[in-house]
Amino acid sequence: MTSLNTPIESAGASGSAFVRQLARRPLSLAGTIIVLLFLLLALFGPLLAAYDYDQLIPGARGLVPSLEHPFGTDRLGRDVFSRVLWGAREVILIPGIATALAVTLGTALGLTLGYFGGWLDEIVSRLLDSLLAIPALVLALVLVGTIGPSVIGLIGVIVMLYVPIVTRVIRSATLNIRASGYIEAAKLRGESTAYILFREILPGVLPALAVEAALRFSYAIFLTASLGFLGLGVQPPSPDWGRMVAEARQNFARSPWELWFPAGAIAVLVIGVNLMADGLRRIFRYEGQLR
Amino acid sequence: MKASNPRIFIAVILTLLVGMAGVTQAQGGTLRVGINAPEVLDPALGSADSEIMFNRNIYDYLIEILPDGNLAPSLAASWDISEDGQTYTFTLVDGVTFHDGSPFTAADVVFTFNRLKELDSAALGLLRDFEVTAADDLTVVFTLPETNADFLFGVGSNFAAIIKDGTASPNVLAEGDNPYVNFNGTGPFVLTDYRPGESATLSANTSYWREGEPRISTLEILYIDDPLAQIDAIRSGVVDVIFRIPLDQLPTLEAEESINIIQKTTNLHPVVRLRADAGHLGEDVRIREAFKLATDRNQINELLLDGLGTVANNDPVSPVYGPFYHELPQPEYDPARACELIQEATGQERLGNITFYVVEAFNYPDVGIVLQQQWASGCIDVEVQVRPENIYYGSNEWMEVDLGLTGWGHRPVPQSYFAEAYVTGGPFNESHWSNPTLDALVAEAARTADIAARSAIYREIAEIFAAEGPIIIPFFTPVIGAVVQGVDGLDMHTFPGRTDFRTVTVTG
Repeated sequence: MTSLNTPIESAGASGSAFVRQLARRPLSLAGTIIVLLFLLLALFGPLLAAYDYDQLIPGARGLVPSLEHPFGTDRLGRDVFSRVLWGAREVILIPGIATALAVTLGTALGLTLGYFGGWLDEIVSRLLDSLLAIPALVLALVLVGTIGPSVIGLIGVIVMLYVPIVTRVIRSATLNIRASGYIEAAKLRGESTAYILFREILPGVLPALAVEAALRFSYAIFLTASLGFLGLGVQPPSPDWGRMVAEARQNFARSPWELWFPAGAIAVLVIGVNLMADGLRRIFRYEGQLR
Repeated sequence: MKASNPRIFIAVILTLLVGMAGVTQAQGGTLRVGINAPEVLDPALGSADSEIMFNRNIYDYLIEILPDGNLAPSLAASWDISEDGQTYTFTLVDGVTFHDGSPFTAADVVFTFNRLKELDSAALGLLRDFEVTAADDLTVVFTLPETNADFLFGVGSNFAAIIKDGTASPNVLAEGDNPYVNFNGTGPFVLTDYRPGESATLSANTSYWREGEPRISTLEILYIDDPLAQIDAIRSGVVDVIFRIPLDQLPTLEAEESINIIQKTTNLHPVVRLRADAGHLGEDVRIREAFKLATDRNQINELLLDGLGTVANNDPVSPVYGPFYHELPQPEYDPARACELIQEATGQERLGNITFYVVEAFNYPDVGIVLQQQWASGCIDVEVQVRPENIYYGSNEWMEVDLGLTGWGHRPVPQSYFAEAYVTGGPFNESHWSNPTLDALVAEAARTADIAARSAIYREIAEIFAAEGPIIIPFFTPVIGAVVQGVDGLDMHTFPGRTDFRTVTVTG
């Protein structure tokens, strides 16, 4: 009997089984590798950059890509490759931290609501539903417009946007598991609520959680880039890729590479995360069948 | 096929007639203008291009200031100046009516100018002190306590749109059947639809006092805030005219065959200003000097204007004003000396923790970025904050912040800048500078009609700016507009919002 939420029973076996499964799906493997590469870029990119992200190189305005400047230079004479490397931080770490926070909060909330149910569940679920009804970008614009552009603000906005969705998914996964036999058995054994939640249910929702986290991450990246594009993210001369795309538009006729490379970077990263998420979803769906 | 089909015959005749009508049509048609949204609509207070544009089409002025800087009669058919230069008598045009049908008389002029005094309008910068009375229905007399060389420019200033006597709240939307009852002017267009932030639609005033004007039947102003979006709009045929195009976008538009570029040399310039009052960033003259020494204005002009701007002095008078401009020794670019001054003035190696507010217009954000880099070599660390125009000006940030970059448009006479922004208590004195010697010189210049004498005073003023002015002017730039083919008779004003649409025709 297969189900989306069949728990993975043994951590060790699932580890190597997981990697094997990934290897069998080239697209998902490619996606995962891309994500890991970008993560490395975010952490170590600035070390590779030959120039500072705000450095104006004299006499180097609008240069075509070359060995010296692999991505060319922009309208002010800044090395685009260095700016993309430096910008990886903004575009990956901020959404990354925000997603991690959102997933943690959402999981805690989802587990609680799913397990305890009752009027708490009713009230909170409706509240979350109403938040979900508002289009993400619109809500983000209003929130950032009010708070003003800042790193903490951005993280807060992303968390506020994605906690409802994560909660929903985890809550529904929890509801499915709550009804199953071994939970009853655990209760009969007299296990504490904490034990049931963290040792029995949580491992069961992990697959859904993993997929959801990956999806949220990709949306968060895109949202951060969009806000940067609209000028609501960080301020210049920040190498935020979204902002770079916006600023590059005015010079597109003369130095199109100024726009291609940050836009391409956003695209590749988002595609990579989505492929990875897709792979995760397929693997966990079929894991049960293999057992 | 029948040899002579009457329907085909009729169709051909009709097509010819319609075609001919299109070709010979000089009256009618719609002109669509793209510009950023206005914030302050009150005619006495609104100062931005989009605000002046809004008002100069609904209202008229006593005197028109032409794009070439000359004066022309408008609602004032003629005027007389007394021997001692202290009495101005204006004879008004007869038979003019407001949009609501009521007649235009001297009482409306008296009301308008007294209201400028009440509201402390920036028009007072050039008008200075005056008393105004109606001698009869068509004669207005201004009496001045002393001569004022620029008085007529003050009478024709952007803020002096003539409103109806007794209007309590001009340009305020009203409840009820006619929301535009307070938008009642004598002007060439009547406001028929206003959506704040979106668009304004005006139709020709059929009882306009100037024969045959306006020549178009509808003026549509579309509010587009982003300059790049404005360029996209004209290229895709959504608008017919745009103004204030950033210089670096010129190549994009020059490549378009169906779009004509209009370029005017003007005194348009960004001002980087420090607040010079006690307890603020620029209080110490050495700090002001350090900022100037750390600024490489030639690099800014090269990088951002392709060298097409004019690098003049750090005061608001450029060569466009002829004898009033003086070539002073140019400020040096010396970041090392800037560091020394910072050390002297603050006792620290670097001056930091400063937010540099930059208005989002033209390419000013890029100017901000380059200045940030330049100043860093001069031991000054700032953080750039780009502010949308309506927030920077609308919430008065530009008057409050310690370090800001503000855009200043062209004025017909340089006296306007001094009176508006640089004398103690001036309405737009964003740097809060207070220099009594400067105040006295500006007042003296106002009284001095003789060009040579005035020029000498302006030289002294320029020297004060050079020595201790809290401002940096990176460049003066031409104003560039674009017009699609088929629009004729458009003479873009050096202050684009003041552009006269009355003689514009639209064909095709």
